[in-house]
Amino acid sequence: MPRVDLQITRRAFLGSAVAGAAIGGIMPAAAHALDGQTPWYREGRIDTTYNYCDMCPWRCGVVVQTVNGIVRKIDGNPVDPKSRGMLCPRGQGGVSFLNDPDRLQAPMMRTGTRGDGKFAEVSWDEALDFVAAKILEIKDRSGPEALAIFGHTSGEFWFTDHFAQAWGTPNAAKPSSGMCLSPRDEAAQLTYGSAVGGHEPVDWDDLACLTLIGSHIGEDTRNTVMQDFATMWSKGGTVIVVDPRFSSVATKADYWLPIKPGTDTALLLAWMNVLIGEDLYDTEYVGRWTVGFHELARHVAEYTPEWAAAITDLSADVIRETARAMAANAPQSVIMPGRHVTWYGNDSQRMRATYLVNALLGAYGRVGGMYFNKTPFLEAYPHPPYAVAGSSGGCSAGAEEVTDTLPLGPTGKARADGARDTFWRGATALQELIDPMITGEPYRIEGLINYGTNLLQSVPNKPRTIEALKALDLVVAIDVLPMEHVAWADVVLPESTFLERYDSLWSVAHKTPYIAMREPAIPPMYDTMPAWWMAKELGHRVGMDAFFDWEDIEQYLDRQLRSVGSSLDDMRANEGVIIQNGKPYFEDYGDASPFATPSGKIELYSQQLADAGFDPMPVYEPVDEPPDGFYRLLYGRAPVHTFAKTQNTPVLNELYPENELWLNEGAADAEGVDDGQEVWLENQDGARSGPITVKATQRIRSDAVFMPHGFGHNAPGLTKVNGVGASDTDLQTRYALDPISGGAGMRVNFVRILTEV
Amino acid sequence: MAKAFLLDLGRCIGCEACVVACKTGNELPPGLAYIELIERVRGTFPDLEGGFDNHRCWHCIDAACVAVCPTGALYKDGGMTRLNRAACSGCEYCVTNCPYDVPSMFEGKAAKCDGCEETTKAGGTPWCVTTCPSRALEYGDRDEILRTARSRAESLRVHYPNAQVYGETQAGGLGVIAVLPDDPEVLGLPRDPEPPLMLSAWKGFVQPISIGLIGATAVAAGIAGVIARRNHMAELAEIEASGGAGATDGPEEE
Repeated sequence: MPRVDLQITRRAFLGSAVAGAAIGGIMPAAAHALDGQTPWYREGRIDTTYNYCDMCPWRCGVVVQTVNGIVRKIDGNPVDPKSRGMLCPRGQGGVSFLNDPDRLQAPMMRTGTRGDGKFAEVSWDEALDFVAAKILEIKDRSGPEALAIFGHTSGEFWFTDHFAQAWGTPNAAKPSSGMCLSPRDEAAQLTYGSAVGGHEPVDWDDLACLTLIGSHIGEDTRNTVMQDFATMWSKGGTVIVVDPRFSSVATKADYWLPIKPGTDTALLLAWMNVLIGEDLYDTEYVGRWTVGFHELARHVAEYTPEWAAAITDLSADVIRETARAMAANAPQSVIMPGRHVTWYGNDSQRMRATYLVNALLGAYGRVGGMYFNKTPFLEAYPHPPYAVAGSSGGCSAGAEEVTDTLPLGPTGKARADGARDTFWRGATALQELIDPMITGEPYRIEGLINYGTNLLQSVPNKPRTIEALKALDLVVAIDVLPMEHVAWADVVLPESTFLERYDSLWSVAHKTPYIAMREPAIPPMYDTMPAWWMAKELGHRVGMDAFFDWEDIEQYLDRQLRSVGSSLDDMRANEGVIIQNGKPYFEDYGDASPFATPSGKIELYSQQLADAGFDPMPVYEPVDEPPDGFYRLLYGRAPVHTFAKTQNTPVLNELYPENELWLNEGAADAEGVDDGQEVWLENQDGARSGPITVKATQRIRSDAVFMPHGFGHNAPGLTKVNGVGASDTDLQTRYALDPISGGAGMRVNFVRILTEV
Repeated sequence: MAKAFLLDLGRCIGCEACVVACKTGNELPPGLAYIELIERVRGTFPDLEGGFDNHRCWHCIDAACVAVCPTGALYKDGGMTRLNRAACSGCEYCVTNCPYDVPSMFEGKAAKCDGCEETTKAGGTPWCVTTCPSRALEYGDRDEILRTARSRAESLRVHYPNAQVYGETQAGGLGVIAVLPDDPEVLGLPRDPEPPLMLSAWKGFVQPISIGLIGATAVAAGIAGVIARRNHMAELAEIEASGGAGATDGPEEE
């Protein structure tokens, strides 16, 4: 009998009872200082370890304090360039994540039908032997390409990068590409020759005007960005927020533009019209560092603020005024690229439009604009040549690491995600690997090793995902918690949390490129293992010893650190971080161009796009409107939660236990729905989710509704959140594929409100 | 030297890192939090303004909770309002008399921010301050915090013309000096927090009696509870006659 219940029960729509029950693990004695008890830091010697946080993909450097073998506190590492001694609410919840009694506690294998959640505990040998035999079988039968490997968050390197490339599958994918960043990074490659990279290179210290389009600082609680924003704003910087919601950061804005969803490109074109038409652009910069200005000027001439006003539901005056405010502060004026940009399927062109505005403002490579980030120097641990090149991209990829070549696997098969066919280029699109599992086109994906990607709370079109999971010959799930996807596995490999394991070095493309380390604060609390150990053990079982040619992880890390004249001990002595020099500005490049485009300049007119049959300059394309009685479904973040990962973390759950549906007060009146009332949502295809509590508010337009992502779990092992709130993923039965980058635009779903079902 | 917090509600962006840091640093049990974030948005779409308020102890210098506390469980120390729960009788007088509606009851006793007494005395900074990514929270000598607050309010006027400092004089001065984007009323804060109605009678009469109970045994605390629950001044004399309790180690202040 497994200790964690994964059995899926179909939750009734009526009644919000939390279904399922799990048998808890052992909680460390959690004495509290409330009633004169000894505070934790006086209970014994404090052992300090260095780590990078895994509570979100931003990965701040942290200092972990452990007393008597119990992890007590996590704080920002003062020398870390991202945390600078501070930490966000999720990071502060790291200890609680570790102590979540719902954690997976031992390897398990399926005993029932796939998806019914019946498992038996097995030994690591049994589990790994089984996986090894199955993947070798797949390889013999259909080639290594028939195994897909998905990965999400900070141990992903071991499977999605290292194991996948050694094994020879080009079908390694991360949700952080196709369902998040691909349009942003492809558009950047095409426009100025490098990807944005993990850490958006906004030169905050000297920034004077910040424009956000759908970025939600404060709800998206990336630590560094909140710090930098507060500083910039407090110094009197101008803030322009474009958002259908009066978001947390919109409350700080000098200009809030409550735009009609889906019309951002029209606004961006109008801004260019004003910048060029009123001669507000940086003439010298544009002349020296861009190509295609005259084409662009002709292109945007017709896109007047009046034209955009009719489309965006904004006033022409505000469009002019904000363009002038941007220009008045240039080049210390940028539109921040943002993170999750897969909205409407036209996302690469929209992102290109933002970069063109930045270019007209002269922001790239200028102090206070957008600096050039650089990946730190760090040699990989020596290994034989990989069987296939990597193309999984993702938010951990450095600015220079994304290529547009399509890797071929050892038996000559390229990726199965339709790149060059249904979309043009970019990192592997995870959501496009689902169809091949079902249809066998272009070839069948037969097995899946899934490192921490909760497919059922992230990939749009959940019925399709379930069909694919049923069709696979092998599903291996690696995770810390009994998330939805775990129930669909044949083999469950429980991972140790970031506080219980070493991990690969985190090398961060940054203004000051740096390397951070992760070391365990305590040994694993349960029979769990780190991903590096699983990958190594599996590697040994499938004939890949040469790729895991190290005794233990400390030796591996030491060897890698030798390439930068350091070692694990040195790194510890230096408080867990190695910082290198970057090349942020033009002057760091001498006469060379920092722009790795064919022209060596920022390509306002993209010949590459024209040659590939796309619009060489961004064009506004209307998106479908919600039908009568429906609202556009927008989704985002609650400040204390990350993805669908932290909702069950006790201390974070306490602060925000259930998501809510933002509905305009006027719309609520018209619907006859009250603030605080529970409703259900039904989308255009009849998919339902709920119940969810209505937050009737003036803070959102009346043509859209909004909910924080990550709730509505259907995972009985998550005892705190199973069946609580609504799932936006359940309501995203369709998406719009970005034909350039393979991004999955998810804001194309509409919902209506049901007061009873 | 009196200490104080700076709470810059201009900068606060509502991330709630302070709430979690407080809970984890102080290892507060589930169900108890010393800081609560409050969304305050006014107006009608699209003409909106607002931001975030913190519901947290303001550490009043003339603290009503301290004045009404019959057992001395609440007391002032270094500018902060401390709470010794061992001495709390559970009378809830602090709960009903706080002009900011701060103390709550947890497991039968009062609970509230104690300014991270243990942590700061161990040389640390309050957990909420350490982690705040927006630097909306600071902690230091009250004079210095007041100066910082004034300068921050001044520069905040770029965004909020009516930005101002709050807490310099209220309730004898507050131990949390706030930078407000607008008038206090707009944020739901009293411009002049009114001392509780019963306070004058209480201060002159009841408290001198109950001071004798401080640090006493459970029996004594129980008696204090009895005293405190009785709202009729007339009955107090009887209790006084019953002898009070014998404890002598009262608080250092008041």
